[in-house]
Amino acid sequence: MENLHVDALVLGGGIAGMQAALDLADQGFQVALLEREPSIGGKMITLSKVFPTLDCCSCITTPKMSAVAHHPNIHLLTYCEMQSVAETGSGFRLAVVQKPRYVDVNKCTGCRKCEYECPVTLPSPFDRGLGAYRAIRVPFSTAVPQTAVLDIENCILCGKCEKVCAAGAVDFTQRAETFEIQATTLVVASGFELTPLNAKKEYGGETLQNVIDPLMMERFLAPTGPYGRVLRPGDGKEPTSIAYVQCAGSRDQTLGVEYCSRVCCMYAIKQAMLISGALPMADITIYYMDIRTFGKGYEQFYQNAQAMGVEFVRGKVAAIREDDEQNPVVKVELTEEGRIIERTFDLVVLSLGMVPTAGADGILSLPLGEDKFIAIPAPNANPCETARPGIFVTGTAMGPMDIVDSIITAGSVASAASAYIREHQKETAYA
Amino acid sequence: MPDKQKAARKAASPDKEEVRVGVYTCHCGGNISHVVQCERVAKALGKMPDVVVARTDPSFCSDAGQAIIEQDIQELGINRVVIGACAPSLHEQTFRNTVTRAGLNPYLYHHVGIREQDSWVHDGDPEGATEKAVRLMAAGLAKARLLTPLEPIRLGAEKGALVIGGGVAGLRAALDIAHQGIRVTLVEKSPFLGGRMAQLESIFPTDEEPRQLLHALIEQAAAHPSITILTGAEVTAVSGYVGNFNLQVTQHERGLSEELAEALLAACEQEAPDNFNYGLTRRKVVYRPYPGCYPSTPAVDWEHYDGRPIQVDGKAVVLKDKPQVHALTVGAIVLATGFNPYEPRQGEYGYGEITEVVTLPQLIRILAQVPQGEPLIWNGHPVRDVALIHCVGSREIEGVHTPQDDGQVNNYCSRVCCTASLHTALELRRRFPEINLYELYQDIRTYGRGHEEIYNQAQSAMVHFLRYRGEKQPEVAAAPPGDTHPALVRVVDTLTYGEEIEVPVDLVVLAVGMMPSPIDALVDMLKVSRGNDRFLLEVHPKLRPVEMAVRGIVLAGTAQGPMNIQESLSAASAAAAKVAALLGQGRVELPPFVARVDESKCDGTGACVEACQEEGAIALQTFQENGHEVRRAVVTPANCTGCGACVGVCPKRAIDVQAWTLAQYEAMVDALAMDIPAFAEAEK
Amino acid sequence: MSEAKTNPPSRGELLKQLREEHASSVERTQVLFREQRSLQQSICQMIRETPKTVPEIAAAIGKPSHEVLWFLAGLRKYGIVVEAGMCGDYPLYQKVEEK
Ligand SMILES: Cc1cc2nc3c(=O)[nH]c(=O)nc-3n(C[C@H](O)[C@H](O)[C@H](O)COP(=O)(O)OP(=O)(O)OC[C@H]3O[C@@H](n4cnc5c(N)ncnc54)[C@H](O)[C@@H]3O)c2cc1C
Ligand SMILES: Cc1cc2nc3c(=O)[nH]c(=O)nc-3n(C[C@H](O)[C@H](O)[C@H](O)COP(=O)(O)OP(=O)(O)OC[C@H]3O[C@@H](n4cnc5c(N)ncnc54)[C@H](O)[C@@H]3O)c2cc1C
Ligand code: SF4
Ligand code: SF4
Repeated sequence: MENLHVDALVLGGGIAGMQAALDLADQGFQVALLEREPSIGGKMITLSKVFPTLDCCSCITTPKMSAVAHHPNIHLLTYCEMQSVAETGSGFRLAVVQKPRYVDVNKCTGCRKCEYECPVTLPSPFDRGLGAYRAIRVPFSTAVPQTAVLDIENCILCGKCEKVCAAGAVDFTQRAETFEIQATTLVVASGFELTPLNAKKEYGGETLQNVIDPLMMERFLAPTGPYGRVLRPGDGKEPTSIAYVQCAGSRDQTLGVEYCSRVCCMYAIKQAMLISGALPMADITIYYMDIRTFGKGYEQFYQNAQAMGVEFVRGKVAAIREDDEQNPVVKVELTEEGRIIERTFDLVVLSLGMVPTAGADGILSLPLGEDKFIAIPAPNANPCETARPGIFVTGTAMGPMDIVDSIITAGSVASAASAYIREHQKETAYA
Repeated sequence: MPDKQKAARKAASPDKEEVRVGVYTCHCGGNISHVVQCERVAKALGKMPDVVVARTDPSFCSDAGQAIIEQDIQELGINRVVIGACAPSLHEQTFRNTVTRAGLNPYLYHHVGIREQDSWVHDGDPEGATEKAVRLMAAGLAKARLLTPLEPIRLGAEKGALVIGGGVAGLRAALDIAHQGIRVTLVEKSPFLGGRMAQLESIFPTDEEPRQLLHALIEQAAAHPSITILTGAEVTAVSGYVGNFNLQVTQHERGLSEELAEALLAACEQEAPDNFNYGLTRRKVVYRPYPGCYPSTPAVDWEHYDGRPIQVDGKAVVLKDKPQVHALTVGAIVLATGFNPYEPRQGEYGYGEITEVVTLPQLIRILAQVPQGEPLIWNGHPVRDVALIHCVGSREIEGVHTPQDDGQVNNYCSRVCCTASLHTALELRRRFPEINLYELYQDIRTYGRGHEEIYNQAQSAMVHFLRYRGEKQPEVAAAPPGDTHPALVRVVDTLTYGEEIEVPVDLVVLAVGMMPSPIDALVDMLKVSRGNDRFLLEVHPKLRPVEMAVRGIVLAGTAQGPMNIQESLSAASAAAAKVAALLGQGRVELPPFVARVDESKCDGTGACVEACQEEGAIALQTFQENGHEVRRAVVTPANCTGCGACVGVCPKRAIDVQAWTLAQYEAMVDALAMDIPAFAEAEK
Repeated sequence: MSEAKTNPPSRGELLKQLREEHASSVERTQVLFREQRSLQQSICQMIRETPKTVPEIAAAIGKPSHEVLWFLAGLRKYGIVVEAGMCGDYPLYQKVEEK
């Protein structure tokens, strides 16, 4: 790997990082986009359709991924880990490891012959573990780059992939390589993780098969999902009654998460609408405390869902257990009636919140807020600036937000970072 | 094959270039393929003349999908591309780039919308939708055969931008654009900068002093060598297009010379309602809205000044407004015209009838005038109980809420009022610990970073929460004489299982929502669009969230929809990034879909010139030809919008819109009207 | 740098090194792979002739339904199994005939 010298390094290739890279590159800056996964796309590429427009998600994401891959000013570095960072006076110097794919990126055509040949089947994180892929695979159908990657930790070294590859791309001699990137400024776009499914023990996440997280439901609703339709993962039944538990893992001081995750009301409503389309007979109940459809066009979206017959019930879910037929039984306090009831569903979705992706903040020694997201000292003046000069943040790395807001903050970070680059390069040119 | 079609095909390849068409039918991740049987469409198209390859893919817009098209162009020598997919507004540009990368002229590609125009609207009829897709695609093919290579219109772009609106969003946008080496003119309608943020006292979530923050911004903007600030000014005329907008800005006279300003301010006696305090107080017609405002020179309230002389040093000074007109040329325009708080109807929750009813922005101004440590007195009574009602003028329901005069029902959430209202409740609690506070809400929407904490603090601070349903609004009434309190609020509270609760209060605060600033004239001049909520409308919330459909015009802040300060700043910076990318190169490219005159046919009748609605788009010019004078129509591509009005009126059929020629339309119509046997043939 | 002077290791050496480094994970995965193979075989066996639902297969082979569903998802993805209609609320799965 050759060392790189760029104006800006963007860390994380989710929608926020991709958009920030594009907005900087469009202004003529040289940008390196560093992603630790084998493909860019982040969480967004795993979604089905996206609120509020209900565009199919890959129609919005894949062209952006493609634009990133083809932009003459963007150096796309996937499957790379940042190891350390030093300040150089004229910016930052990063030590980066290119993890071995055991596949030559330049030779691989993405034909997936190796994947079909590989005998080891593994849970695919793209499908939240509910679908499968092989020890060597193209991570998902729309991955960028369209290159296979071999998971050496789960490989039996049988060599079938190497034999079957017509391009001769499989290469067991690859090793991790370290290289250096120099950048005037850094943009952190390291994104979010979902609150763990088992964070709130009372809800039975992870022990009850039919209590799932919302990204699983996204996959069920996506055309490329693990079952090709909506089924409950416990036994493959098509659910006819589905409950959503709002604020599961957010606004909950017992979990140390005081904040609202801001997207879960909207994605629950969206999924309810999509399920109504896929399973017209299903009834869907959403248990909530407050419905927070605050964005542009979002209140209308909420009203449409009500009109479609999605049931919104104000209630606090206390616990979820399972009956003998694997059906989750929800115990809920109906706060508008002052009663506690139990109701049985086929499937329960916990509307889990967002927590920050750990890692980047530590290496960059960025101070965090009380919510553990990267701190922004002056939100009402410089909404994308971290406490360290020259390091900016965008997307859900700066707190929960949806795609629209992530894209806006990406544009905003591009402005802030480019002003910094011009200012700084001027200074160092004179010095 | 009908003869016409043959002829058309011949015409397409005058230089004997063989037409080789690639036809691509996209599943659109199921959006199309759930209804349209894409494989059948591909098969039918594959059999039509000139089609070399017809394929389907789950999503051609993905990198892998685009690669297939590129490969076909390079390996199969495809020289016309037809893609049936989503609406062209979504991905036409994506595929133009694909085709270009493969070395083909980008205009040798035609996009057919078979999602919005087919699968989405015929989802009960897969058979019919499939047939329709075949016809639409066949029409696309017919057109594609006649496509010719085109070049975009390349124009120099003025490296300057106009920012309209000097609130926090406009200021931020102006600065960010200027930082990229682009000249900026900032036009603010009022005589002072700062917008609504200047009227706040302490802002969530940081409890900062807003005018101090604004000042930091204003100082930088005022000191920046590339920023020109025009206050008391409005855009009064617009022409041109991206890269070269010509504008007329009309600026009111400041009215006061530097030397006389202070003396005039002191001497002025005439008063008018102070709109900085939302009309709660009065001020002089020569005024400064608040100490430390920018510009610091006082202004004259021309609307209210009655023309009487003001006595200064024994002289009678009459102030005169002599509006000045500035002409500007800029490459891009930023709309940052902001919002107005919703003005409740007369009688809505007692507003305008019961003096105890005020709006939240008004309350903020009232509190600003009560010295710290002193009690809150309203209408001569000490205030003991305050009710804050949420969602006034927001989240309105058709059929439940009374529409505004023009029939508008604000069905959107204004997003800042929940947090602003709770933040103000905390301020009340801090300053007047004895007051009882009631928040009447539907849903508490403290969504942002640090907002839920404010809600939690309000709960710990003994703010009482009463929850009403949108269909059953609270009622406000004047209390009967002799009551302990001047007003009563009645609410059906769902938190106490639907009990009707009556709260006697001294003050009712309406947490009013946001409405767009009244900018009808500007919207008309710029030909930009607004959404159902009447805020300015972006092209697409995810693909182009700060751009308007008119190229070169971008959006910043609450002109687009409700936002808080942080969000307004972000949106403004995002808009600035777009302007920087657009103007950074000093040139812009416009699509070549403009009128073109066939010189061999034009005999200068001039019908086109009369039909054209665009200024400077087409004119008759005189040429010398073989010693003769001939007159012919000449198009100025930059001014032509490609509307085609001229095409219809030309008696000689000498004029056409490039890439949308009459011959192409005819070929398309023939294909659309393809008879059923032909269709069945294709289906076989 | 000192390593530049020594010759790069040969392909054989690198492969040997890889085997050594990953000896334990290879062994673990081999166990997993054998289990998977036998399970996949018994699932495929079950649905070679007549399509079945997840609970039917699970009961027949004595494995939890969710595991069976996971295997079916994988088999379906790689074109070994297809859906073949519904039985009540449960989709039926069937082995694709080998060519
Ligand atoms: C169930 C669900 C449904 C949703 N539906 C919608 C919807 O319909 N509409 C909508 O607007 N929003 C929706 N959202 C929200 C949306 O997913 C997020 O707003 C968006 O994905 C955030 O993008 P991001 O780029 O900030 O983060 P991410 O997508 O998390 O991307 C971060 C990227 O950074 C990489 N990364 C992290 N750390 C490092 C590191 N140290 N080095 C290198 N790379 C790193 C990650 O691998 C990842 O690729 C939904 C969210 C959920 C949970
Ligand atoms: C009661 C209340 C409390 C709030 N409290 C907070 C808070 O605590 N924290 C927070 O973050 N946000 C708060 N907000 C939101 C905040 O006020 C807005 O986010 C912010 O002011 C928006 O700035 P802007 O620049 O978009 O619009 P504006 O401030 O409205 O500025 C627009 C400017 O454009 C000018 N203009 C309009 N039309 C034209 C024209 N045709 N030509 C030229 N100029 C024109 C106007 O005169 C104005 O100066 C509050 C809002 C309200 C209503
Ligand atoms: S967005 Fe809705 S579900 Fe999510 S934490 Fe906020 S209020 Fe709860
Ligand atoms: S922010 Fe709160 S008060 Fe404002 S409209 Fe939305 S729900 Fe109502």
